[in-house]
Amino acid sequence: MCAFCPFNISHSLLHMLHAHAHTHTHTLHMHHSHSLSVKAHFRLAETEKKKEQAYFDRSDTSSIDTATQTTTCPAQERARNCCIFSQKNLGNFFKDLTEAQESPSSHFSKPWTEETNDSSPAFLSLSLAPSMAVWDLSVTVEDLGSDAPPVTLSVASDLHVGGVILKLVEKTQIKRDWSDHALWWEQKQRWLLRTAWTLEKYGIHADARLVFMPQHKPLKLCLPNGITLKLRACFSNPVFQTVMGICRMLNIRHPEELSLLRPIEQKKKKKDKDSAEEIYDLTEVPLSSVSRPCLYNGMPAHFADSTQMEAIYKMLSVTQPPPAPEVIAKQYRPASVVDKAHIHGRWLDSSRCLMQQGIQENDRVWLRFKFYAFYDIEPKYDVVRLTQLYEQARWAILLEDIDCTEEEMMLFGALQYHISKVSQSEPQMLSSSAAMDDLESALQSLEVKMEGETSTASEMLEYMTAPELNDYLKIFRPKRLTLKGYKQYWFKFQDTSISYFKSKEESIGEPIQQINLKGCEVAPDVNVTAQKFLIRLLIPAPEGMNEVYLRCENEQQYAQWMAACRLGSKGKTLADSSFQSEIQSIRSFLAMQKTSSSSHGNVPANDESINTHSLVSPRYHKKYKTKQLTPRILDAYQNVAQLSLTDALMRFLQIWQALPDFGLSYVVVRFKGSRKDEVMGIAPNRLIRIDLGVGDVVKTWRYNNMKQWNVNWDIRQVAIEFEGNVNIAFGCVTADCKIVHEFIGGYIFMSTRSREKSDTLNEELFHKLTGGHEAL
Amino acid sequence: MDDIDAMFSDLLGEMDLLTQSLGQETVPPASLPSTDTEVNFPIGFGDLNANLHELEDNDLDALMADLVADLNATEEKLAAEIEGLKVPSPPPSDLPPPPKGLSIQPASSLASPTSPARGTSSNVSTPASSTASPLPPPPPQSSKPSKEEIEAQMKADKIKLALEKLKEAKVKKLVVKVLLNDGSSKTLMVDERQNVREVLENLFEKTHCDCNVDWSLCETNPELQLERTFEDHENLVDPLLAWTRDSENKILFQERGEKNEVFKNPQNFYLWKKDKRALKEIKEKDKELLIQENFCGTSIIVPDLEAVLYLKEDGKKSWKQRLFQLRASGIYYVPKGKTKSSRDLVCFVQFDNLNVYYGKDFKSKYKAPTDFCFVLKHPQIQKESQYIKYLCCDDAWTMNLWVTGIRIAKYGVSLYENYKTAEKSAVSSVWTNRSTPSSSNPSTPSPTIKAKSPSQANGHAPKPQPGPVSQDFDNVPLPPPPPPMADMLPPPPPDPVLPPLPPPLAAKSSPKPATPQRHLPSNFPPPPPAMENLPPPPPPPPINDASEAPPDFLPPPPPPPAAGYGSLPPPVSSLPPPPPPASFGGMDLSLPPPPPDPGFLPPPPPRPMFTGAGGAPPPPPPPPPPLQPAAPRPAAVRPTGSVKKMPPAPPKRTTPAQHGGGGDGGGDFMSELMLAMNKKRGNN
Repeated sequence: MCAFCPFNISHSLLHMLHAHAHTHTHTLHMHHSHSLSVKAHFRLAETEKKKEQAYFDRSDTSSIDTATQTTTCPAQERARNCCIFSQKNLGNFFKDLTEAQESPSSHFSKPWTEETNDSSPAFLSLSLAPSMAVWDLSVTVEDLGSDAPPVTLSVASDLHVGGVILKLVEKTQIKRDWSDHALWWEQKQRWLLRTAWTLEKYGIHADARLVFMPQHKPLKLCLPNGITLKLRACFSNPVFQTVMGICRMLNIRHPEELSLLRPIEQKKKKKDKDSAEEIYDLTEVPLSSVSRPCLYNGMPAHFADSTQMEAIYKMLSVTQPPPAPEVIAKQYRPASVVDKAHIHGRWLDSSRCLMQQGIQENDRVWLRFKFYAFYDIEPKYDVVRLTQLYEQARWAILLEDIDCTEEEMMLFGALQYHISKVSQSEPQMLSSSAAMDDLESALQSLEVKMEGETSTASEMLEYMTAPELNDYLKIFRPKRLTLKGYKQYWFKFQDTSISYFKSKEESIGEPIQQINLKGCEVAPDVNVTAQKFLIRLLIPAPEGMNEVYLRCENEQQYAQWMAACRLGSKGKTLADSSFQSEIQSIRSFLAMQKTSSSSHGNVPANDESINTHSLVSPRYHKKYKTKQLTPRILDAYQNVAQLSLTDALMRFLQIWQALPDFGLSYVVVRFKGSRKDEVMGIAPNRLIRIDLGVGDVVKTWRYNNMKQWNVNWDIRQVAIEFEGNVNIAFGCVTADCKIVHEFIGGYIFMSTRSREKSDTLNEELFHKLTGGHEAL
Repeated sequence: MDDIDAMFSDLLGEMDLLTQSLGQETVPPASLPSTDTEVNFPIGFGDLNANLHELEDNDLDALMADLVADLNATEEKLAAEIEGLKVPSPPPSDLPPPPKGLSIQPASSLASPTSPARGTSSNVSTPASSTASPLPPPPPQSSKPSKEEIEAQMKADKIKLALEKLKEAKVKKLVVKVLLNDGSSKTLMVDERQNVREVLENLFEKTHCDCNVDWSLCETNPELQLERTFEDHENLVDPLLAWTRDSENKILFQERGEKNEVFKNPQNFYLWKKDKRALKEIKEKDKELLIQENFCGTSIIVPDLEAVLYLKEDGKKSWKQRLFQLRASGIYYVPKGKTKSSRDLVCFVQFDNLNVYYGKDFKSKYKAPTDFCFVLKHPQIQKESQYIKYLCCDDAWTMNLWVTGIRIAKYGVSLYENYKTAEKSAVSSVWTNRSTPSSSNPSTPSPTIKAKSPSQANGHAPKPQPGPVSQDFDNVPLPPPPPPMADMLPPPPPDPVLPPLPPPLAAKSSPKPATPQRHLPSNFPPPPPAMENLPPPPPPPPINDASEAPPDFLPPPPPPPAAGYGSLPPPVSSLPPPPPPASFGGMDLSLPPPPPDPGFLPPPPPRPMFTGAGGAPPPPPPPPPPLQPAAPRPAAVRPTGSVKKMPPAPPKRTTPAQHGGGGDGGGDFMSELMLAMNKKRGNN
């Protein structure tokens, strides 16, 4: 065992020296070396620390490497590394050793008897090293099954953790890759990841319950889009790193913006349904391949392996179709700010690992964007990120996690409709690789070039004469006539104007009236079942707005004239390229009305038959029937119908971000000296204090005025000092103050990102800002 | 082929006639414009005559300028062609902007109009492409001869030219009178592709003001007692077209601090709830951060406004209080008995089709509780109507807060871009001012300058700088130098044609500017081939400037743009780039060439006009109309001219001529031009 590495020796030496100085040593052995108080030992302790550091730097990387290549026992590998380091300092050890031997204490008098490791090179010093008492350590090996009894090893306190593992592996006699395994100390809830540390240094005694298990375990991960993945996540590193690993696997950039939270408990009744829920398995993805994401076909290589994997990637990168209204209604909706605050109490601690936070293998957690500071969104590289962000925003709207007005809701609904439609029709765009993009742009420029060259005179002439619409329609102008009557005329739509004549024959002459639609308001008044197709126009004039109704005979006619009016109102002519697509979208909306008003059984796989209730929050399910809702969404839709998928996603996010409550994470707090609960809203750039009684924002503090913030971990209080001698302090009610601390530190971290252009994540800084006492 | 050819030459001829007639028409109605009301006449070929008669004398200048611009453009094309043929294109290459671009410019100026056809939005691509490919050939030249290919090409170009002209004809142009602070006015021709920023730059050039970011164009509606500041990215023509024929609306050129206040003191808008005193002490760094947060993120953040405002009820005289909230999506109010929660808010207005105006003196007009009112209405509504929303605030500050907030919600990031552009322009103007002295000197040497002036690089260049950046292409084509800022300014290229020079000057250090100008003259010689023939002084476009120029400049006529710069004493040069609309720029450039000699006039279209002009040297076309803002100048000018409006052109002319010997030549030119036009008219 001592053969493992010189650190052992140094440890022993330390102890020897210690023993030498103090007559009773045993209790001290229980403590870590840095707790030693004797000055004389410091030098030694420090060198040891340094060496250890070096060792770990080295061994950390090596363990990753070996994970893929070999079945070599990691402990051996590490032992070898240790040896390399050790040689340099060998001289010192001997010196120390001799010193120690000159004054042996009773404790060390016991001869070294155990010989455990025959394979590793033995040092001369080994024989010199005094040995310690041997005791039994029992370790549960998870891979043997839960029923299997713990494996018992005889160890001495100066045995290295790596040595324990080595022994353990040998004893189990199972040949496999153990490289991901590590020891978990149940009572203390900590991993024994420093294989160079001795049991003594860790403070492990015979009563310790250790579990030997893999560090990466399957985890059910619920994504913002509602899909559940099963993947292997790291249970031993801080959650921050776990999230980094997950994001790397899923191809999401800027993992610092995301985190994990405990799911809201589902009602028990639903359990049967949950079991039916499909879980997409990613556990087969080799951990090694994730470390280096290289894109293949626009997706990480591990997704390109099989068609199933590709399907999963598509699920990640393409927006989900609108959920059924019942699904929305069934979801948990926070009813108040306090409810929302409770959700934010569920965030996991970024600086501790999953095991430490009670997350077990196969548990379910949510992956969500936690910090609402989205840095550098680049649709080309951020397909998954953008999609998931959109999904999170969409659900926040649908579940009224963030409030918006009715008008805004209609616009969100229209965008959702458009996005789902476009993403079904052009899924290619999403996964296009960089190379494809280049090709595309090259083609495009070629096109432009050719256009330029071929723009002959005749073409130019063509351009000058825009197409027109001609037809018989009925018109009604409420202002002029007291009698409600539609009169039929021959209508002509040219440029951006409508003219009408008594009849087709007279259309050559002067029109009865010409109406320029530029700047007018166009609204539909349609009832498909009643075959009512009205176009309501509000036409601006110097005296005010004139109201005009146009009545069309059928859908076809309506779609054309409606589209023309819409273009006209924007100052566009029928020559505009969007005319046809405008007609299409109007028709599909008409179709929606048809299906939603007709019987339910009549809903084929027609993707145009979206129930508009799927696009708005349940509040509006009650308020409006689909028949009423559809025209309103259509109304909003006309402003977004021409957007590309990416633009529509971005627009959705922009409108979301422009909402007054955007980016607020709530915590119920109690201010120092106050007796009532209040709510603290944490935003990307400020803190707000909300009075629960009134619901009003009482006070706003901006981070850029913040001088410092402190957390008193004993009394669980957050104290913040702002410029101008403003001091606030509060305790947290619905969340641990670590969560609040992490939010504030996290946002400050986020704001530092733009300055350093490098892509590498400054993990250390993040922990410094968010870790609290644990980071020190 | 021949048929087509003939047809098109006919067409071209006709067009020219049309243009001429336009010019002529304008000339006659010399009736002095004593009326202060400014009239905007949409000029289309269709109703030209009608409009023309209504034109005031002053406006004639602008019109003339416009026409000349056309000519010049063609002329330039020609020159470019010649250059292309005779001289390898080396010179152009030197030019910072696309050398070719320069030569092309003329073409481009024409082409650009084409693309937009009707739409205000300029389709850059089209014009660019068209211009690029056909660079040289437009006007058939004697020099070209030789190859059939060339001829074919020429034919094609002719066709294109004709079409472009047709399209150009469709571009709406307005003659606009802008009132200045001192009560004087400037008359400009604005075409529908120009945005307000370009018009402002144009005015800077003409008025020698300090070009700070507060300068704005405002629209007033006396009938409704409203006024509003145009945003720099807006198109000027569109809102003006909404005015009724008998409208008393006016356009003012003023400093409006509130326009960009939000960028100077964002804390007052975004942190308005905070203690006022604390806001005053806010650090620059924090201001920047606020702007960053609210204008530079993925989403533009609208100030979070909430206030009890008075609302004038539809059709009633009473004002009712309501709690309003401003959101990015519109203005909302809290219905009675409801909470302030978003979902309960009732939408009051959305901004798609509305503009926000300040109300004046509503206390007496509508019995408003205070005089701090603002109004939301469709831009086309010009008279009282139930569709106008009247709101009244407790104090001026609240009103400003709301109006600015609404503008942010409506225009978004454009406001910030406008501000940045304006800032750059202001900075460059400062530079130029410093250099001014030197620049002024150059101007003095009128003779040489004139020669240069033709090149007008200065005039042109400026335009591009300001305008180009912002958006409309229209301008861009003209002056090659798209590089908005002076930074790019590569020293002005030698080419006479190249207009880029000016911008650089302004932007760059003072010394340089001076030099460039001087250089130009020297450079000019090179172009001579084409240029030489052309007599230098075609001053039409500059007319407006002329008013100022005259004093200093003797020989104003010749160098239109240059004149603008140089002539205007120091300030001129400093004026960064006159953003004059493309049309103007084009004019300037072209100007020089056309006048030269009728004989030479190669470009078919322009020719006719010129030829005629050549014949007689009648009335000096460019009256120095508007008084310049510059105090000294205006004063001087005023005496000469009529009080308010631009004095009749003639007087000014004379003045300049007297001053400079060289100028005389220029004056002659103009007079010749006028004569020619008159002649033509007579013929008609």
